[in-house]
Order: sequence, then structure tokens, then C-alpha cells
Amino acid sequence: MSLKDVLSPFTAWKYVFRDPVTIENPLRDRPGAARYRGFHKNDPELCIGCGTCETICQNGAIDMVPAPGRDPRQGDSALRPRIDYGRCCWCALCVDVCMTKSLSMSNEYIWVDRDPDAFRFTPGIDSKRWDSAELGYHRPEHHRLVPEHRPHMGELEPEERIGSFAEIVDGYTVEQARAEADRCVSCGLCIATCPAHMDIPNYIAAIRDGDYRHGLELLYRTNPFSEICGRVCTHKCETVCAAGHTGEPVAIRWLKRHIVDQVPYEQYRDVLAPPAPATGRTVAVVGAGPAGLTAAFDLARLGHAVTVYEALDKPGGMTRWGIPEYRLPYDIIDRDVDVIRSMGVDLRCGQRIGGDVTLGQLRDGHDAVVLALGLQMGRATRIPGSDHPDVRKAVDLLRQATAGEDFGTPQQAVVIGGGNVAMDIARTLARLQKQAFGTVRVTVTALEDFAHFLADPDEIKESFEEGVVILDARGPQAVVIEDGEVAGLKTWKVKSIFDEQGRFAPSYDETDEMIHPGSMVVEAIGQMTDTALLGEDLTEKLAWNRGRLQVDAKGRTSEPWLWAAGDMVRGPDVVSAVADGHRVAAGIHAALTGKEDQA
Amino acid sequence: MALYTPDRSQYPAALPDGSLEFDLASGKYLKLWQGPQHPGITGNMSLELTVCGDEIVHARTHVGYLHRGFEKLMERRTFIQCFPIVCRICVPEPDFNEYCYAQAVEELAGIEAPERARWIRTLILEMGRINSYMMYLGGQAGSLGQAVIGQWTTYGRDLMLDRFEELTGARIYHMFILPGGVRDGLPDGFETRMEETLREIERIMADVEDVMFHNAVFKTRTVGQGIIRPEWIEDYGVTGPNARAAGVVKDVRKDQPYLVYPELDFEPVSGTDSDVFTRADVRRRDVHVSIDLVRQILARMPKDGPLMAKVPNVLHWKIPKGETYVRGECSRGEYGYYLVTDGSGYPRRVNVRGPSYTHAMALLEKMIVGVNIADVAGLMVSLHTYPPEIER
Amino acid sequence: MSQDSHGMEMLRSKTTLAEVLDVAISFECAARDFYTALVPRVSKRIRWLVEDLAAEEQRHFDMFTELAGRADLFEQVKTELQRTAADSKFSDCLHLPDLGEQPDDQAVLQYAMGREHAAMLHYGELADSTPPGPIRDLFAFLAGEETRHKLELEKLYYELVHRGGGV
Repeated sequence: MSLKDVLSPFTAWKYVFRDPVTIENPLRDRPGAARYRGFHKNDPELCIGCGTCETICQNGAIDMVPAPGRDPRQGDSALRPRIDYGRCCWCALCVDVCMTKSLSMSNEYIWVDRDPDAFRFTPGIDSKRWDSAELGYHRPEHHRLVPEHRPHMGELEPEERIGSFAEIVDGYTVEQARAEADRCVSCGLCIATCPAHMDIPNYIAAIRDGDYRHGLELLYRTNPFSEICGRVCTHKCETVCAAGHTGEPVAIRWLKRHIVDQVPYEQYRDVLAPPAPATGRTVAVVGAGPAGLTAAFDLARLGHAVTVYEALDKPGGMTRWGIPEYRLPYDIIDRDVDVIRSMGVDLRCGQRIGGDVTLGQLRDGHDAVVLALGLQMGRATRIPGSDHPDVRKAVDLLRQATAGEDFGTPQQAVVIGGGNVAMDIARTLARLQKQAFGTVRVTVTALEDFAHFLADPDEIKESFEEGVVILDARGPQAVVIEDGEVAGLKTWKVKSIFDEQGRFAPSYDETDEMIHPGSMVVEAIGQMTDTALLGEDLTEKLAWNRGRLQVDAKGRTSEPWLWAAGDMVRGPDVVSAVADGHRVAAGIHAALTGKEDQA
Repeated sequence: MALYTPDRSQYPAALPDGSLEFDLASGKYLKLWQGPQHPGITGNMSLELTVCGDEIVHARTHVGYLHRGFEKLMERRTFIQCFPIVCRICVPEPDFNEYCYAQAVEELAGIEAPERARWIRTLILEMGRINSYMMYLGGQAGSLGQAVIGQWTTYGRDLMLDRFEELTGARIYHMFILPGGVRDGLPDGFETRMEETLREIERIMADVEDVMFHNAVFKTRTVGQGIIRPEWIEDYGVTGPNARAAGVVKDVRKDQPYLVYPELDFEPVSGTDSDVFTRADVRRRDVHVSIDLVRQILARMPKDGPLMAKVPNVLHWKIPKGETYVRGECSRGEYGYYLVTDGSGYPRRVNVRGPSYTHAMALLEKMIVGVNIADVAGLMVSLHTYPPEIER
Repeated sequence: MSQDSHGMEMLRSKTTLAEVLDVAISFECAARDFYTALVPRVSKRIRWLVEDLAAEEQRHFDMFTELAGRADLFEQVKTELQRTAADSKFSDCLHLPDLGEQPDDQAVLQYAMGREHAAMLHYGELADSTPPGPIRDLFAFLAGEETRHKLELEKLYYELVHRGGGV
């Protein structure tokens, strides 16, 4: 203790001469920092209602509620997060995990209200004064709580695959599949979008858990063609995947394939309950494609006697006769079909209805008849010269290729079309050319420009890798014929294909003309159904809807005994055909058991 | 300085089991509750004092008023969902919870936070230490009737909270250090504003030294008061400034270095007298060490580079079976997280070692006997106790 | 108006609004009858298409007839107009083709698109060569109508023939 200890405390008096440091009311003049985690903001247009914010909130402060004036659509549940500030702890994990970056926080932190319920509101829907605040917490670009990239899947190198029809992709390894399955946030937007409403989040969870048997069980609940869909599904689910908004969508299709790859084929039957006892009712199905066989599968499991008539000598429909082997090996189709057959389905291939057996006979011999004919006829451009025998249709050539027939592989070929069928025939021709001549000389001309291309990006990429030349925005004008032989295709540049409203309205630049040399021109544009088997009387009797057989919600035509499903009523798509097969089977079952109202 | 020796003649007789016999009906003893609502208690705990005259003859510490069951809550939360919870286990210095939890998860999950994140974590922990001491100094002075110190240090702490706000987005519960790294880098111009803040805090600390430490009243009340004997350090698990003021130089930053401390230049502060005054002085000097560390970190940390390690999808993050104990030197001593995982998406057990647990219960009960009622608050504050970390 | 008298008029370099409207009415009328005649000949599968086309032409026919009868235009029907280059192409479309015994949807659509395209050009050029005023507005409106119909048909054609189709 010293004199200093007595005097020193008096130095505190200097504070008398200091200005106060406190901030006066109102505090509004003191904005929160740029990163401040204040009241939430949400961009309702960007938000897809995936509910991941609700999932991560450990306080249960977020509820997904219907947003007024919004209807659910593909990829948007129309739900929006409502936040209860009696629970919120301002941790911003909801912002960090938001799959679209729609959710953020303002730097506003002062809010006084006498009504406690006011502190529970839906940001972006209930307008608040901080909605336009620029400052506040937004997820930094690098900060990810959900991985954004797919693991790399092994596949054949272009030079390897072009020499044969071997399947290109390897499928995921267990490790890769688990990493990919890990990226799913289980929002379920995919379920609503999948035509067959497959239980995608749960079968992905089964992969994470390594429970493949359960995964296969889930697949079979909604789809007897998981082997096929695991390879060639149009995966609409992936286009709405929440992960796709700020990263790559989850590879749902490859994950489905991974499940079927992992379960030994002998065990497939074990996950399926045996068919119900026989009902004594019989159903005939015309067409052994995905729609017809799905209907057959369901009906057989319900105890009905099902006979499937297939015109060609092997089942599978367009999946076999349209899709090349390098995308979908034929034994894969057999695996799916054999499980269906094992349910007691009587599958008769090589039996074309309209020949020895007529539709009338089927009607007389069965309680119901399902038409699942598919889209097996190619459309023609009808440009000058297109009636030449060496102007072929892609679907015909693909069918011949599957059958192993020699259709005279051209040394150089031109394909008209920009969809997946065009890519299929181009790459098939490329392989045949490689085998026959050692070089690939295929040119694809598409009306659409690359920004509006119909084919999958993967198909385009792989076609390029295999040496196929793809020219976009080329409108076919005439097939060039020299000395009676096809010499090539004349095209004009398409200046624009769609108008401002997005409607097809091609305008050509006639000065930009090209001749694409080739001794064969292949038309790979639209497809249609051959409905000749109906005959004129039945055609006249049936109700039609813009060129397609008119069916009700259950798939029944205007003739009570006749049902229709698949591409011929829905347009070309494997998984839509599967969904339609289920639909028509449920309708028939209800009709046959007198429970129509409940169907 | 001689140790204070109370008059033991008034003490009650000991029963055979060692407990004391109080005959309250005699009028000689009085039960006096200090807390749970009392200006002389830190946080929500309570002291059940038995007094004889002005002197404490027996004390029981009571905790539980603040029990929110965090450890149990965490067993029902995914690993990422525990992240917003942990900071609440210690309100005035929450960052150690964030760091220890994140580090424990990272160890068991086999990931490593990037270099830049490790520097930012160290920065945040030192910023938090300064703040914690500022709060303590106000409390220590206030408990002895000197309210002005708290006004000054609260101002300094507020400036540091401004820095926390611009760096982390929040003033109190920063929620910035999460498994995998940190949320973001330093905002533009942060270093300059931090230097201004550090200078203002240094100015405040000079005033605090003049008015609080060179103060006859403060010294009279604190010198020789509340001795922690060196042999108690190991017996009671005393750590941090409480141990260092007794001459036992324990500092996790040096003893089991973590984050970037091995690359920083500092010496732990210690004392010899182990009384209230020495403990306060150790903390005062420790503020300057932390200020220096903040400067070192800002000068030497990498300016760019990743801030987060690649983490799996946090929504279904499962961590292999394992257990680990992660410790750090917080302003009150050793802070630790013991984390047990069982391969599921939830922690099997989280146990938090808050240094207040060892300091504020058994040790306080022992130290308080023989103390004048008026000195209880000062003594208790000198142990730098934060009850929320006792009640996890 | 018979096709013969129409052919005579084409020799003149000038025409009048009355004549333009007359030709337009007969153009729509002929098309309507053409599509209506096709209805029983095509498969029921594509009958909707020719029925739709006939209905659309009927709508146009009604509209032109109403225009020609309007009092406020009566004074102007004698206004002389410059005959345009597209005129002859447009007139060509009055000659109805033979689409065969059982034309399919693609053939019908191709023909219909050609007609609408010629009509669109015809009215568009008339509008361009007419001084600003109600008549010019009328032609612009007619051109817009034909353009709209043509775009609808092209969209249909694209969906049927090029884009997977499924019909």
C-alpha cells in the first residue's frame, strides 16, 4: 500500500470531461453489420419449397406452409418457410443449407409489436420493411453444407466404345454411390415429378444405409423396369432435383441402377410377394413394351390371367428395338422381363394382332384388352427426294440393327433430327461404319440450335467424342440425288426456330446453304403409332383426342372392353409408359372386381 | 503477505462423520441465502451460507437453476444441429464451445479444418478471451462496490462485440466456428478497425489499472483474501488464472498446443500470492497478452485460402464409432469437450468440462469458510465463475 | 366471285379495297369448303385436324363478311390500292390442290401452312403499301390474324412431325 494507491483512484474524475459513449435512442440509427443475422428474407420466386430449411432447423422454428396464390408445380411444392421467432435462434443454418439460395437474412434487428403472433411470419410472402434490405447474412459462395458435385463414374473411353456395342457406363461403385446418395436432401420434389412416383428419397436412403434389398423392394413397389429405367430413364426427377439449383442434380437414375446392380439377380423374386390367388378373369395385352408389361405385371400379381401378344420376336418394345445396345444391353431387358414372366404372365412373341389373331378375337376371349402399341413408325420430312429408297427412317434402321440384319451400312450418312433417336442412329451407324470401314462419317443436322436441343447433353457430348459431326440449326430442304443415287442432303441455316412466345416458327437464311454428302439420309424426327390393327370400323367407333386414342383417367377407351396405355396415348417416354401401365392395370382390376368407384 | 487467519473459537463442534453441528435454535447461527437472485452472485446459482455473526462458518453451493439439459439435447440432435446449441453453454465466452465441439467432430469424422480457418478460430478465441476478462474486471470491481470499472469495461467489451458482429454476424452467440471450418473470412478493413478497438481497450485498461488496481480500498479488500493453496490445485482440478495466480503455470495453449498457438509468441501470465488481488491482476495482464496475440494473428494469418473443409451432406452426417476429448484454454481455465460417437447421425454422449464446475462448487465451499459476509461476493467473482457451463 | 373473273382482274396493276375484301372472303370460303369436304375422307384419327381447320376458316369468313358490310368502311371500299408482289402467290392458293384419296395429317398441315403463309405475306404487303389510316390498320390486323394462325399450325406441325410426336 502506497500513497499512489490512495491518490490514483481519483484519476477517474477525468471521465467528467469525456463525451458519453452510449448510443441514444432510437437505435434505428445503428444498422446491423453487413453479415448481421437479422430477420429472414426469402425470394418466393427462387424458393422451391423443398423444406430443407425446415429439416435442418434444430429449434423447429420453421414450418413449410402453403403460400397463398401459389399452386404446386413440377419442382415447386408451393410451400414456403414460415419462421417462428419465438423459436428461432438466428443460427442461419437454414440460410446455409438453402438449396436455391433464396433464403437469406437482413441486418434488421429491431421489431416491436404488441401481438405475439406477429413474430411468426412467412418471409417474402408477408411483406416486411426489411424485404429490400441489401445488407445481412447471405451464404458465402464457398460455404457449402451439402456437396455440390457428383462423383465421377467410370465409362469406356471413346476410342474403346466406338469399336463395339458394349455398354458405355460402368455404373457406380459402392463408394461412389454412397457419396452420391449422400447429396440427396430427401425433399421429395422428385417423387411428385416422376411419372411413376417412385419413392426416390427412400431408395437413396437405402443406398446410404447399404440396404440394397430394401432398395430393390422400394423400386418394385412402383416400377418393374428398374433395370431398364436405371439406365435409360428420361429422369425428369433430376431436372427438378433441389440439388440442381446450386450444383449438380443428384444422379437419381444411376443410383437406381446401382441398387439393381448390387442385388444378386437370383434374389429378385425374394423381395416380391407371390401373386394373389387366381380370380378367373383374363386380360389380353397387345404389345410387350414397358406399358404393356407393367400392366401385365400388376394384373398378374392381382391374380388375373394375363396373355401378352408381341408382334416382334422378342419382348421389350422400343426399349429393345429402339434403344441401342451400348445404352441398354439386351440381357438387361431380359432380366426385367423374366421377373414379370415369373409372375405367371403368358408372353407370346412373334404374334402380330390383326393377322392370325384379330382384335375381335381377343375381345371375345378376354374380360379386357389393353393396347400398348408404342410409337414404332417414323415420321418423314417429305422434302424433295425423300422418297428415295436410300432415305431411311431411324426407327426402322434401329429395329434392323437390333435384329442383326444388314441394312447396307453407308460409308457416309446424314441424319435429320436432333432428338435422342437421332443420336441413337448416328452412334449406331458410327459403330457399324467403324467395324466395316474403320472410319466414322456421320453428319447429324438438327433444326434446333444447341441451346434448344432435344437430345440429352450426355448424348451430344458422347456423340462428338465418337466422331459424329452434329450441325445445329440446319433446316433440311432436299435430298440431293445424282445419277439416281443419294448423294447428300441440302440444308439452309435456321435463323430462328422459335418466336418470342417460344412457338415453332422457323425462318431460314437461304444464302447459307450447305450440302452434306452421304449415300444414305436417315430421317430421325417424330414417331407415330400404327393403329391399322383397329380396322376401319373400330377406328370409326372409337373416340379420338387429337390423333390419339381417347382414354379416361384410368386408361379406358370409349369402348368399355378396350384400354390403352403407354407411348401411344402419352407420348414417348419409358417411365411414363410404366406409370401408365400401373394406371390401366388399376383401372382394369377395379372394373373386373366391381370396385370401379374405389379405383 | 501473511495469510489471513480467522478466529476459529466460535466454530461449532464436529460430529463423528466430520460434518458440523449447528444448533440454529441457539440463535448463534443463521442460515443466509445468497442467490439465486442476488447482486453478489455470478449467474444463476446460490450459496447457502451458515453464518455466525459476520463470519461464514459453513457453505453449500447450489446449482441447477440454469439447467437446460444441453448435453442430453445434443443426443437427439444431428451433428450439425448441435452447432447452434453449444454456444449457449457459456454465454459470456461462447466460442470455446464452438471450437471444442467442431474440433471433436472433425477428429472423429476424420476431417481437418483448413489453415486459414484455424487462424480465424484462434483470432476469435482471443477476442472472446479479452471480452470475458473485461466482463470479469467489471464484476470483480463491482462486487466490492466499485461500479465505475464495469461501465468502462462494458464499453470496451461493446467495441469488441462490434468486431464480433462484423466478423461473425452476431454479437453474443457468434455461431461461426462450425465442424469443417469457419463460415467466412475477415471483412474488408477489419484489421484497421480491430487495431482501433485494441487501442481503445488498452486505454481503458490503463484507467482500470490506475483506478482499480492502484487503489487502497481494493487492495485492503483483496490482498490476502481468498487464498487457493498450491496443493489444492491438483486436488480440486483448478486450472487457468486461478492456478497461475498460485504459481502453478498451467496453460493449455502451451501445455497441449492447439490451433495456431505453437506459431504465436507469448508467455502465460502467473502470480505467486494466490489471493483475490493476484488473480485479478493475472487476468488484467492476460488481457494485454491477448491483445498482443490478436495483433500477431492479424499480421500473420493467410489472407486467402479455403475456409471450410469438404464436409458430407450435413443432413445425414454419420460419424464412425469413436471418442475424443478436445480441450482449450479459455479465460477461466481448461475448457473441454468429451464426445462419444456410435456410428449414427447423433452424438452418443457429449460431456462438457466447464472450468466453473470445479471452481465454483467444491473449491468455493472450502474457500468461503471463515470469510466475512461482505467478502463472499468478491471471493466468488475472483474464481471467475460462469454457472451456465456448470449446468450443461 | 368465280375464279375466271378473278384471273382477269389480276391483269390490272391497281385494285380496290372492295376487291381485296371480296378475294379474301372467297379465299376463306374456299378453304372452309375444302377442309369440310376432307372431313369424311380422312381417318377418324386425324379428323380433328381438318375439323379444326374448317372451323378456323369459318371464323375468318365470318369476320371478313362482317368487315365488308360495315358502314364506316363503305365509303372507302373504292379506294385504289397498289397490287403487290405477294398477290399472285396468294391468288395461287385459291387453286385447291388434290391431297390424294386419304391425305394424312402431315399433308393437310403442310398445305394449310402454305395457305396461311401466303395470306400473311399478302396482307402484310398491302399494309406496307397503304398510307397510314384505317385501311392500313385493317390490313395490319388481317396480316396479324393470318400470322397467328400460321404460327399455331407450325407449332402443331413441329410437335406432330419433329418433336417425338406420338400421334
